[in-house]
Amino acid sequence: MLRMAWRETRGAWRHVAHVLACITLGVAALVAVGSFGDSVLGTIAGSARSLAGGDVEIRGSQPLPPAAEEAVASLVGPGAATTRIRQLNAMASAADDGVSPRTVLVELKAVDRQYPLYGRLAVEPDRPLDEVLGEGRALVHESFLPRLGLRVGDRFRLGNRELVVSGTIRDEPDRSLGLFTLGPRVMIAASDLEGTGLVQPGSRVRHRTLVRLPDGRDPETVRDGLAARLGAIARVTTYTQAQPGLRRMWDQLTSYLGLTGLVALLVGGIGVGAGVRAFIAEKVMTIAVLKCLGAPWRAILGTYVLQTAGLGLAGSLLGAGLGSALQPLLAPVLAPLVPFPVVVAVSPGAVLRGLAMGVGVTLLCALWPLLVIRRVPPALILRRQVDAPMPGREPWLAALPIALGLGGLALWQAGSLRIGLWFVGGFAAGLVLLFAASRLAIAGARRLPRLPSLPWRHGLANLHRPGSHAGVVLVSMGLAVMLVVAVALLDRSLRAQLADRGAREAPAFFFIDVQADQVDPFRALVRGAGGRDPEVIPVVRSRLAAVNGQPVARSAGSRADDWYLTREYVLTWAVDPPGRNTVVAGRWWTAEEARAEPLISVEEDIARHLGVGLGDTLTFDIQGVSVAARVTNLRRVDWRTFNANFFVIFTPGVLEGAPGSFIATAHAMPADEPRVQAAVVSALPNVTAIPVREVLTRVTAIMDQIALAIRLVAGFTIAVGLIVLVGALTATRYQRLYQSVILKALGATRGLVARVFAVEYALLGALAGLGGTALAAVLAWAVLRFVLDVPWTWQPATLTAGIAVSTALAVLVGFLATFRLLGERPLHVLRGE
Amino acid sequence: MVSVRGITMRLASGGRAVDVLSDVSLDVPARQFLAVAGPSGSGKSTLLGLIAGLDRPTAGRITVGEVEVTALGEDELARFRRDTVGYVFQSFHLIPTLTALENVAVPLELSGEPDTGARALALLADVGLGERAHHYPVQLSGGEQQRVAVARAMARRPPLLLADEPTGNLDSATGTQIIDLLLALNRRLGSTLILVTHDPALAACADRIVTLRDGRVAGDELANGHAAA
Repeated sequence: MLRMAWRETRGAWRHVAHVLACITLGVAALVAVGSFGDSVLGTIAGSARSLAGGDVEIRGSQPLPPAAEEAVASLVGPGAATTRIRQLNAMASAADDGVSPRTVLVELKAVDRQYPLYGRLAVEPDRPLDEVLGEGRALVHESFLPRLGLRVGDRFRLGNRELVVSGTIRDEPDRSLGLFTLGPRVMIAASDLEGTGLVQPGSRVRHRTLVRLPDGRDPETVRDGLAARLGAIARVTTYTQAQPGLRRMWDQLTSYLGLTGLVALLVGGIGVGAGVRAFIAEKVMTIAVLKCLGAPWRAILGTYVLQTAGLGLAGSLLGAGLGSALQPLLAPVLAPLVPFPVVVAVSPGAVLRGLAMGVGVTLLCALWPLLVIRRVPPALILRRQVDAPMPGREPWLAALPIALGLGGLALWQAGSLRIGLWFVGGFAAGLVLLFAASRLAIAGARRLPRLPSLPWRHGLANLHRPGSHAGVVLVSMGLAVMLVVAVALLDRSLRAQLADRGAREAPAFFFIDVQADQVDPFRALVRGAGGRDPEVIPVVRSRLAAVNGQPVARSAGSRADDWYLTREYVLTWAVDPPGRNTVVAGRWWTAEEARAEPLISVEEDIARHLGVGLGDTLTFDIQGVSVAARVTNLRRVDWRTFNANFFVIFTPGVLEGAPGSFIATAHAMPADEPRVQAAVVSALPNVTAIPVREVLTRVTAIMDQIALAIRLVAGFTIAVGLIVLVGALTATRYQRLYQSVILKALGATRGLVARVFAVEYALLGALAGLGGTALAAVLAWAVLRFVLDVPWTWQPATLTAGIAVSTALAVLVGFLATFRLLGERPLHVLRGE
Repeated sequence: MVSVRGITMRLASGGRAVDVLSDVSLDVPARQFLAVAGPSGSGKSTLLGLIAGLDRPTAGRITVGEVEVTALGEDELARFRRDTVGYVFQSFHLIPTLTALENVAVPLELSGEPDTGARALALLADVGLGERAHHYPVQLSGGEQQRVAVARAMARRPPLLLADEPTGNLDSATGTQIIDLLLALNRRLGSTLILVTHDPALAACADRIVTLRDGRVAGDELANGHAAA
């Protein structure tokens, strides 16, 4: 059978090339994405201890009280090393040069002499940390220097203190690995932090205690013990749980990129199906002869299945090679999203999975057309009627395992049942709709009244000619167009959202850590520098202590709801409901109600996650003091506004005495922004200004990177869609040649024949573009509406471009594939018949 | 009407060059009915194709009327065929995606003539297929397909009618009907007719018989008392 499979492959180079091309690109996309994703996760896992900074980490918004410190010391045992780190946002300014001082928001990190426990802080110049930290010396990230116009050795202000830049940080082992930071890193010694005056009651400081355990101590055991003892004071994690946010983000990003690649592979699968169908149609005589010679159909089917599997494997191997080679192309696009250098390596897991996906999709998509072999009647050799439809019914029963198999492969690629099912559902819906639309379009073309133009009539007729591949081309190109246009629509809607609303409604700054006695001078400073009167809101930092009297249990697990139980709650109070907040259950309090007892208004999503409703009681721990309040209404918050929004709002008169601070939002003309920031920072050095425009710019930059990566992978789908088109044109090459030659024999010029082809290709491209774009609009609308909660913006330019580019590509590729037919001399073609 | 001068056609076949036609010269006066006879492989069909400009000879010159066919460019050749030549093939060569009516209408449309539908229908009626105008080629018998092809060849009343073994794919009874039809229509049009056949009985109907053998003219005789040019 193997020999027979090889004989049937030899000499069928067009078929071989088509199947290989269809599979190669899809597998290449999957392997490139998978390999890079594995590289990132591998880098995280490989340096988990230094990324976490220790074996065990204790994090809180308050310093550990003495009792807790003792508990930590006794639990970690002798031989353990501990380091304490404080991190906060702060404003740095260049020493006053007489004009307007330059200021910049930085991520400040104060470390003690034990830091770091794992890994190495690489600095330039390369000196021991003792010589570059402490006694007013600061290490900074390179990007810090140009923003203040400084060089190493220059002085700058941080809060109330002047510091000297002693060097730059080249590699920080345990930096926070969020997608973006608010500013460049500045690192100082713990002893220098006190003099800055930045740590005030209510300041947003993250306290981290890192522990290196002696050999043989199990981090999990220590973690569990610490979690039990520390309770609500802090969160405890081990190094294996380090960077959960980054891991989750990467899992999701690679999952979505992988599914984008899977679309390319599945479109290729459609091409394989069509190619195999055309190939078998050429082979019916051979099959009939084999049957006459006594070959059982199962053996013949086995031969072709073997052949197809071999082609699928060869295509997948090519794809794996291509994908591994392309990984360096994808890496620079994605690398800026990772805050550490990624060791790019070919992942055997990703390669094996790519091979399995490639072979699986090839076989499943080829099986249906191969089953025709069973129905080829041996008597065919007597009639020599090659085009005749096969007797017997289509093997609908086989469709079920094929669909299940493809669905299974998609679930495997998605790595999550929920996302996988969404993908399968969306893909199947797209497939069915495009298939129905293509049938409709072809039937419509047949019923169209006689067109006066000859090229139009012939081009249109080619769409519904018996044996035309228009259906396959429309479905596969339509899917590709759908994916690419949907990505573009989502991208543009999100951007429009950020740009338009951001520019029009966003405040220029968030100010945080304004102290009570600074509120009046702060207002005056903002107004004096040209800003509008800022909105100042009191905030109190707290943790959730109990729900309906039940103390919050810290399971230390990773359940999603845990995040809501253990996060820090920033509380405020208000007489009236804030703007852009809608009460969706209960009602806002009256003045008398507010006086009678502590009441709270809770954001609806957080209420759902905490499992509380109207009448339930939440108890908050505000630096050791418990405050309980009854839920009296639920609010819906429009998070898209760049305003200060709160999960929990108290009635007035409850929190006023608690240690807290103020945050403020200030509007200013862009030209006045530097002056406002400088005025506030130089007069009130402990106040941190977060420039909203800058943050938006950074968010947009990250979106650019992600969008570019997705577009790159989606581009594979377009390439595969065009390969399917080329395959279809190749399969109908002979009919096309015949038609062009007869027309020429009857006196048609090459130009006229070219116009006939152009009409056909343009119609194919335009119909695929139309169907794909329409589906893309539906898909993008659904994602915006139900997943991202962003309003749909109508994008006529993108939609038109989708149709136009699809049409142009179809005409271009069609011509490249068939222009040689135009030059054929008619005589030998007509005589060869 | 047709002047063939020193035509040689060399084709590569299996790695070596074969002269399908070597130094063939021939003159066909207007309105003559010429039969080109000879065994298969003697170059008859190639000669016919070259006269119609469906391919180019390796050497030699062909003139039809005032037009030097061998000097025309690709698109000029197409226009020449459209305006001057009607061609009937052995295997019909109808466009499978078009109905009988549409196939007949194609030459009329190519030259931008008005009222193509009605005229094509009239032509089909002439060949006795008025009833089957809206059938596709696959729905027609071989004889019917060839009638459609004849109607198509006559559609523009071409001064030169070329028929390449028009009965070769048909049984003898149907073949006779096709020939009768072809000759009747040709008499009505007054065209020059060159018919390629290896059937001596059919060749005998012609005014003149040119016999080809191994790519050379092996015989040229008048029949039925007509005079050669």
